[in-house]
Amino acid sequence: MSQIVRTRPAGSPTGGSLDGLDSGVSVSGTALLNRLWRFFISMRTGLVLILALGLMSLVGTLLEQTPAGMSTDPATYASWLASVHPKYGGWTPVLSALGLFAVFTSIWFKAITVLLTTSVLACSVNRAPRLWKLAFHPRTRMGETFFTHAPLRAAVLVPTEPDAASDNVRAVLRSHRFRTVTDPGEEGMNLYADRFRWGPFGTVIAHLSFVVILLGFFLSATTGFKNPQFTIAVGSTAQVGHGTGLSVQATSFSDTYYLDGSPKDYSSGLVLYKNGVPVQTQTVRVNHPMRFDGVSFYQSYFGVAAAMQVKDSAGKTLYSDAVPMTFTSNDGKHAIGQFAVPGKTGLSVYVINAASGQVDPNIKAGQMELEIDQAGQSAPVATEVVNQGTSTTIAGLSYTFQRTRPFTGLIVAHDPGANFVWVGSALLVIGLFLVFFFPHRRIWVRVRKASGGSEILFASTMRRDTAFEPQFHQLVTDIQLAGTPSSTTDIPLAGTPPSTTDIQLAGTPSSTTQK
Amino acid sequence: MLKLAQYSLLASVMVVCLALVCYILVLALGRSVRREPVKEHALVGAGVGSSGGAARGSTSPAVVAPAPRSLAAYGTYFTWLALVFLTASLVFRAIYTGHGPFANQYEFAVAFGWGMMAAYVYFEHQYHVRTIGLLILPITAALLIYAMTVGDTAIPLVPALQNNLLLSIHVALAIIAYGAFSVAGACGVLYLIQPEGGKQGLPHPAKLDEISYRAIIIGFPLLTMVVILGAVWADVAWGTYWSWDPKETASLLTWLVYGAYLHARVVRGWRGRRAAWLLMLGFACVLFTFFGNLFFGGLHSYAK
Repeated sequence: MSQIVRTRPAGSPTGGSLDGLDSGVSVSGTALLNRLWRFFISMRTGLVLILALGLMSLVGTLLEQTPAGMSTDPATYASWLASVHPKYGGWTPVLSALGLFAVFTSIWFKAITVLLTTSVLACSVNRAPRLWKLAFHPRTRMGETFFTHAPLRAAVLVPTEPDAASDNVRAVLRSHRFRTVTDPGEEGMNLYADRFRWGPFGTVIAHLSFVVILLGFFLSATTGFKNPQFTIAVGSTAQVGHGTGLSVQATSFSDTYYLDGSPKDYSSGLVLYKNGVPVQTQTVRVNHPMRFDGVSFYQSYFGVAAAMQVKDSAGKTLYSDAVPMTFTSNDGKHAIGQFAVPGKTGLSVYVINAASGQVDPNIKAGQMELEIDQAGQSAPVATEVVNQGTSTTIAGLSYTFQRTRPFTGLIVAHDPGANFVWVGSALLVIGLFLVFFFPHRRIWVRVRKASGGSEILFASTMRRDTAFEPQFHQLVTDIQLAGTPSSTTDIPLAGTPPSTTDIQLAGTPSSTTQK
Repeated sequence: MLKLAQYSLLASVMVVCLALVCYILVLALGRSVRREPVKEHALVGAGVGSSGGAARGSTSPAVVAPAPRSLAAYGTYFTWLALVFLTASLVFRAIYTGHGPFANQYEFAVAFGWGMMAAYVYFEHQYHVRTIGLLILPITAALLIYAMTVGDTAIPLVPALQNNLLLSIHVALAIIAYGAFSVAGACGVLYLIQPEGGKQGLPHPAKLDEISYRAIIIGFPLLTMVVILGAVWADVAWGTYWSWDPKETASLLTWLVYGAYLHARVVRGWRGRRAAWLLMLGFACVLFTFFGNLFFGGLHSYAK
């Protein structure tokens, strides 16, 4: 099953060409395809590709990788490169040009993955018919030399007639859960017995599962959506978007800590609406996401939101919501939130407070700094520290900082590829267990007349399944005992397995050929 | 409980060292008494190689006859005792902390050491090849001593780690797989230091090849499950089943190397020595993945 016959593909026609120049010119399409096919079904190809993938993974582990999304924007990427420059020095541009700072999205990695997938598919297609034949149309009789040279073999003399002897062989094999196929011939009664004939299909399952997993990765990368910064202030509602018709209301948030100050639990009370109708209520915490219709909500982070109200000069409310202060200033001292006022294009309001654990003498407790920007103007329209609950009029609009509220930061993701990954993973484990723990065990038996009864020959291939060896001998012993009802004490009959050591040694040639 | 865990660990380190001393003495004395047929069984490593096919370990019921109470046998008893102490240490620790050994480097190291001892005891029992102990016991001892130096303060679990069952299974499978890989790696080393066809006093290469294959077919499916459970956990905790986190990538690398080994074993020109190199490379990857916590940060950087 695993032996690969490596014959050199006939690349160019051998006959007819008179000089060297002539050969190699006429590469026919089929010859090329044939060559390609042989390349992909070669396990050596697969092996080299696996190792190449391993090498790329090693590079990806050893070198710092650009965080997701950073490589798309040139300016961000340049600043990221600058940040790793002290570590890699003059190699930085070289490594960057080779794509080694984003190994897993590099063309090399994709190319090897595609080649490996092709190889895996080709191997499976190539192998499946042979496995099918081995399982369902096995060769039931073997030549005489097989019985004298097989890695596992034994010969037993029993005092019964061949018919009774083969019935006995069948019965014992069946009691050991072997399937038996009889095939009478001139050379005697041929018996084929096997167990776990579906085991080798595990290789096909395992290899195809690998393709299913890769398909899942591909779907994850190309479909679905992921919003890693989905913030909702407690009491507010936020739209999920992406055509889901979902919106989420945060009803509570709590963070608890151990005595030593390390975090113990973060939890958000959420109500999920589909097209305005509540469909699910759940407390979401780390490790306990909320899932609905393929969309998942994960607890990710949290912070403080400022409840703001904006009115125009006529007293009409233009904006009233809590602004999550999700950004941190470059010096890390301030938490910043931002919102736009509906109907006022280009107007952007920043809400600024001292970051958690930081103190800004200018922004006291119960205060909030507002910075109002108008698009197209380099300087802010106004920057002002406001008191909680009092309205301040800036450029014709009245701003009120009402109170702070906690906000919860969620990851919202819809990943159709994940299910493929899980199905592929399950298949992979099933496949591996079939291959490794249910090896196809085959025994060929020949029963023929001998002086004083019948001679029973046993032979089996033992490739990579040494655990079968004791079982094989146990079977032979059982058959021998069952076939000689009268003499139970006299176990080692003449002509029985020559001696244990002989059989042991018989096993050695097979292992030396493996080198 | 914490004290009990510490004492058990200390005891196991000492017993591992005793076992190692026994094996080294056997090796040293064995060379001088090899020709005495009575002692043949005592040098188990030599016994397998020199008596060739007859001593094919568990596969032949004739050889199960144990050695007399020799130094080597004491070595074996010490490894059992060490395993008992290590198990006790892990159990006491788990009772004390209330969770499996996955919260910090100390717990990983003791669990890893347990995995190696368990795998060694199992394979020695199955195949009677004590020689691999000469390689595995020092590594186990070093790992356990490392555990003692790294500090065993129990820290409370951060929210992402509060998935006791999933993580316990994840780590349990990992340590068994790692144990099996260490046995395979030791077999790889013993394979490579011998000339083609074997060397007197060392297990026969074909035997080593068989043991390492047995170890890998246990370890590889387990490692596969470890990676998959890691992905399940990542999906539950972070919303992504795979994020190319360094530890994830290093496990993938390990998985690929052992996958390569499984294929190499049936490719002409790769079986034998090259496959043995892959076993060593694989174990290097295991160690790299294990100690990776210390330098590559990322999502697995809980353990400081």
